Amino acid sequence: MKLLNNAVAGIRPEQTPPGRGRFFRSWLKIQMENEGYQPPLSGLILLQICIGVLFFVLITRLWYLQIQRGEEFARLSLENRLRQERIFAPRGRIMDSAGKIVADNRTACGLALVREDCRDIPATLTQISVWSGIPSAQIWEKYQQDRLKVKSFEPILILTDISFELLSRIESEIYAWPGLEIVVRTKRDYPEKDIFAHVLGYVAEVNEKEMGEDSSLATGDLVGKAGMELELEKRLRGQKGLYDVEVDAHGRALGKFLKKEPRGGHEARLSLDLSLQRAAWAALGGEAGCVVVMEPDSGKLRALVTSPAYDNNLFAAGISKRDWEALRTSNRFPLQNRVIQSVYPPGSVWKLVMAALFLEHGISPRESVSCSGQVKLGEQIFRCWKQGGHGVMNMENALVSSCDVYFYLMAEKLGIDKIEAFAKACGFGRATGIDLPHERSGLVPSRAWKRRRFGQPWVRGETYNIAIGQGYTLTTPVQIAVYVSALLNGGDLLKPQLLENDARVVTGRLPASDRTRNFIVNAMRQTASGGTARVVARGDADMGGKTGTAQVVKLKMAAGDRRLRSAEMEYAQRDHAWIATWGNKSGKRYVVVVMVEHGGGGSTVAGPVASKIYDHLFGLGTALTARTAQ
Amino acid sequence: MDTRLFGYINWSLLALMLLLYLTGVINLYSASGTRLDSGMTFSGFYQRQLIWGACGLCGMVAAMSFDYRRLRNLAWPFFLITLVLLLLVPVAGKSIYGAKRWLSLGFMSIQPSEAAKLAILLITARILSRETQPLGWKNFFSVIGVAVLPCAFILLQPDLGTTLMILLILTGMVLFHGLRGYVFKTCLFLAPCAAAFMWFAGMRDYQRQRILTFLDPGNDPRGTGYHILQSRIAVGSGELWGKGFTEGTQSQLRFLPERHSDFAVAVFGEEWGFVGCLILVSLFCLFLLGIFSTASQAKDRFGSLLVVGVFFYFFWQIFINTAMVLGMMPVVGIPLPFISYGGSATVLNFTLIGIVLNVSMRRFMFKG
Repeated sequence: MKLLNNAVAGIRPEQTPPGRGRFFRSWLKIQMENEGYQPPLSGLILLQICIGVLFFVLITRLWYLQIQRGEEFARLSLENRLRQERIFAPRGRIMDSAGKIVADNRTACGLALVREDCRDIPATLTQISVWSGIPSAQIWEKYQQDRLKVKSFEPILILTDISFELLSRIESEIYAWPGLEIVVRTKRDYPEKDIFAHVLGYVAEVNEKEMGEDSSLATGDLVGKAGMELELEKRLRGQKGLYDVEVDAHGRALGKFLKKEPRGGHEARLSLDLSLQRAAWAALGGEAGCVVVMEPDSGKLRALVTSPAYDNNLFAAGISKRDWEALRTSNRFPLQNRVIQSVYPPGSVWKLVMAALFLEHGISPRESVSCSGQVKLGEQIFRCWKQGGHGVMNMENALVSSCDVYFYLMAEKLGIDKIEAFAKACGFGRATGIDLPHERSGLVPSRAWKRRRFGQPWVRGETYNIAIGQGYTLTTPVQIAVYVSALLNGGDLLKPQLLENDARVVTGRLPASDRTRNFIVNAMRQTASGGTARVVARGDADMGGKTGTAQVVKLKMAAGDRRLRSAEMEYAQRDHAWIATWGNKSGKRYVVVVMVEHGGGGSTVAGPVASKIYDHLFGLGTALTARTAQ
Repeated sequence: MDTRLFGYINWSLLALMLLLYLTGVINLYSASGTRLDSGMTFSGFYQRQLIWGACGLCGMVAAMSFDYRRLRNLAWPFFLITLVLLLLVPVAGKSIYGAKRWLSLGFMSIQPSEAAKLAILLITARILSRETQPLGWKNFFSVIGVAVLPCAFILLQPDLGTTLMILLILTGMVLFHGLRGYVFKTCLFLAPCAAAFMWFAGMRDYQRQRILTFLDPGNDPRGTGYHILQSRIAVGSGELWGKGFTEGTQSQLRFLPERHSDFAVAVFGEEWGFVGCLILVSLFCLFLLGIFSTASQAKDRFGSLLVVGVFFYFFWQIFINTAMVLGMMPVVGIPLPFISYGGSATVLNFTLIGIVLNVSMRRFMFKG
């Protein structure tokens, strides 16, 4: 050390204290430099420049960040810490014409577990199993499934839609189980289930496509997917509210501030009558078929029932794959709204259209035809439904007894082109415009259609089939109801209305004079009082009707020339049964159309259904006396 | 001790240091706060920083209690001890985050690379104090040569930040002393080559990644770029007046990483805004000016160089840390003196200021 120190140039040793060791001496020795030392000027300037640069650079940068771009960073910092959480607006309820609720909002309570707060998760899950009776393995599985989807401080929903009894039991014991909480959510509820399923449709979680079309929708929102829920979506939905939720860097919510109040959706009032709807459902008795009850003057639908249906609550709760598969693959097609989506040959009900056509084209109602039970056209034989024939038939007789031969021959006179034009003008072959999605338009065949469809010219025999509502002609039950209503209301083809407060909408005019319409209405009256539609006759009301039997497969003839009876055929091959009726009791007029799939004869299967509906509309007591009087 | 000495103490430097330290403690109180749904909770960083400050004051008094010129005798022994400790690190050190920097003494851990800063400061001051003229090649290399070994050891730990700090302090002191013109020009030419050599030979992948991320932080917003982005958001969102004390959302809600250590000044910027930052930066500049004035008043070369070493020790930390927090430099683990939390750093900072005060109070103690 000492050597080193002594080697230093320009420094002289001083103040060497006596009597210490060498090391300490060297440590205590203070070496002084020459006096008059001045720090190098360039060095001092360097230090000052350093300070100046530091100040200038930092202040410039701070100015840039905090003043120049301050607002931008303030926004980014706000976005960092604020998440928006929506508040679901209550969806508008749907009521029947009398104000009874058919689509409601119900609060459903669920039980959720917050992992972070839960001391002993297996024990807690076991307790949930004890409460709910669900095997603990199943609860454990659900927990494991959802565990990774949420953060440790977010609730995992274990039980949904807890019953009131269970809820009160859990509430009384929940204090002993930290980490459990009861979650309340709103659920769409359809108390009438199947009876209104097709009219109301259902709500379910929004999908990608719907979100693309409507920017106000976000994942997790419920939207109408079918029926009125879909049709009235905009009106029922309301406007979501917003919470500003303050979160930390881990996404944990620290506080909520109401930013925008939710606005509930508007309520909707259907024209349908809940009790009538129930009665119609009961009258169908589980058969596959449908009922339309329409007010001919206003176009309002009072009942619209299709059977079989489904429980739309299943969809609202999120349908399970198994339930969905069962509905989708059922051979009874419960997902089909038969009133507007099923197209059937109208059978003899079609004769109401044909007769109007004849009258409008100058065929006199008195002009008669002799029915021998069949007509020959070249090699082909066209039979009347009545073996042996009806004898001499004028138009009214032919309608009342539904004589096929009369219509074969008269239709042939006019030809397919006139039939096509007239049927189309009567509203067939196009949608009625009812406020339900996916309505089908049916089919009025024509020469052009046949060439397009089959590449073949029209043949005369086909005109015969069309004349009695068989062959290619396809109609929906609601089209028949609209047509019959037009006969009664002075010739207005009305849009069938499902909403009580909607105004009457005329979609077209029936190309038929008053005389024509009155003739047909009267013929229906005769048919109800003594013809094929006798089943709906009643003493207390003016009634009219027309039955129809639509062949599903080409007529199967048993040995001999007799048609097979329904009971002798396979279900899927049996005829569809139709009845189109009207009733008028002290000024209250209704059109009731019933269609029973594979029901067999119109009068025997569809008729009693219509009759029961009139019992509900007009009262039961007098109807019974009327029927016994028959 | 001569009581007259008290009269010569650079009181304004002491006051500025204490002001910065107290600002740091107050800022740490806020930076250690975390808002949970139950309210604010504060971890004890600011309390511990107070204790470290007390230790630092002891260190400062100790550093003032003897004539600083004795330090020149200590330079070599201290340097050699530090070198031995640095050699021990790869053998007996403990590994934290993949780097071996610490030596465990059982009751506490020490970081020999911190001591190396002081050792190099002393040894450089001693070597340079022999020279009255600007450095030629021979003396330049003797200064560099002394630093090579400790720097190499520290770089291998790996600890790029400390290596850079040592080299920067060294550079500052050498530049203060002065270089011959040809030496200076050659160094200016060779500096880019040295940087290229560092990039390819001296750096680890994660260090290169940090620099790349700095150049484009948006590239990796959740990973390495996160620090830079969140720090800029914190400072920028302070705007003119700041969000208010303990109201900084970036820090209280934990968006800002390392908010009590390397990024503590971002918390300050967020809560006090441009106005607060202006004051803080001014305080730091005045503080540096205080050191500068001591350096310029020193009556011997060794004392002057010692103070200049301390000046650069603080200058580079302030510069690098704030530049990093403000998004002007890659993220390197260098704290801001007095503002960032850190026990040994606080004690060392106080002690170094003690040395500066020592030089200032003994500036008239020369034999006529």
